Amino acid sequence: MSNHALRLVILAVGLLVISEPAWSHKLKVFAAAEGTHLVGYAYFSPSGRPRQAAVTVTDADGNVLATATTDDEGRFEVEAKRRVDHHITVGGGDGHVATYTIKADELPDHLPPSPPTSLPPAGEGSKPSPIATVSPALPTSEADWRTFIDQSIARQIRPLREQLDAYQEKIWWHDVLGGIGYILGLGGLAFGLSERRRWMDASPSAVAGRNRS
Amino acid sequence: MAHIPDGVLSAPVLLAGAAVSLAGCAYGLRQLAAERIPQVALMSAALFVAALVHFPVGPSSVHLILNGLAGILLGWAAFPALLVALLLQAVLFGFGGLIVLGVSVMNMALPAVLCRALFVVMSRSGNRRRTMIAAGLAGGVGVMLTALLVSLALALSGQEFAAVAKLVVFAHIPVAVIESIFTAAVIGLLLRVKPEVLGFTSTEVRDE
Repeated sequence: MSNHALRLVILAVGLLVISEPAWSHKLKVFAAAEGTHLVGYAYFSPSGRPRQAAVTVTDADGNVLATATTDDEGRFEVEAKRRVDHHITVGGGDGHVATYTIKADELPDHLPPSPPTSLPPAGEGSKPSPIATVSPALPTSEADWRTFIDQSIARQIRPLREQLDAYQEKIWWHDVLGGIGYILGLGGLAFGLSERRRWMDASPSAVAGRNRS
Repeated sequence: MAHIPDGVLSAPVLLAGAAVSLAGCAYGLRQLAAERIPQVALMSAALFVAALVHFPVGPSSVHLILNGLAGILLGWAAFPALLVALLLQAVLFGFGGLIVLGVSVMNMALPAVLCRALFVVMSRSGNRRRTMIAAGLAGGVGVMLTALLVSLALALSGQEFAAVAKLVVFAHIPVAVIESIFTAAVIGLLLRVKPEVLGFTSTEVRDE
């Protein structure tokens, strides 16, 4: 009977060890808008890429805008047809899910805004974006090109800067907690050392005896 | 504002500050009983966090110092507690320089020790209200003395004292008010729940 139990335990531990990588990995997605194409890849943290994983792109209301599957390197590419927030969800099919959002601001201005193009533009309830309705005239002079490029770059790096800000905020809290930890640790160390000194002063023979054994 | 960046103070001021702080830390540690170490560590953590609470005052911003409270609770042990707290603030957040650490510790710990003396003298009777007034006074005096010492350190390094002092001292008036109230509240609470921390037995605390 105990033999059976032992076997069960070994089996359970073995299964845990084998399946451990599956849940120690965290699936993550990164994507960026390159023109109207949303290009990105899914990856496991710390390493690995999901193959043939389903990629679903939805808007803010959950309507499916596009679907795709990742290639053998975990990469995918879908086309954005509207200038709305794109929520990219990659599901590995085994319980791993990760999402990444590309904001409408990151997409080119000439894409139609919120409501689908198939709908008549009249009677739309959503906020029309004035920028998006103006068709972008290509810059002519060199100065115009410069401003055009500056604007594009600014738009592209804004999410990065937002992310950096959020990250800095997080680091700040970690530093606060770390500092408190340092101080309490130092206090503990000081307390331990002073206690040990007192104990050694009280009974040197006891310490010597313990060291010998 | 109480954190002075590197490169502002002159060498004699830096040396004097380092010497005073070293002596203060040595004395504070020497007479610190082992069973009070956890209290010092907790107070040090509170000092570390307090300086992260900033308020805007005019063009500048000021933060809590809590050295009056630290003095009342720790006495000379305020020196090592402030040393650790300020060191970590400098390393983790860049508040103040590392070379001026001695001066900064002195600027905050000397008033703390004085506040302790003031508090002990004023609260000897064990009267609850008198003790809380003493605590409030110590909280405010600690901040203002620190502001004065900062001004003095800057003045001895070649800045014009009157102008600097006006700026630093005025900026710290709201801090002094806030800390005065805060210190009185903390001491009032301690009187109620744990008077032995303040050196009273519970029978010594009287309401009238």
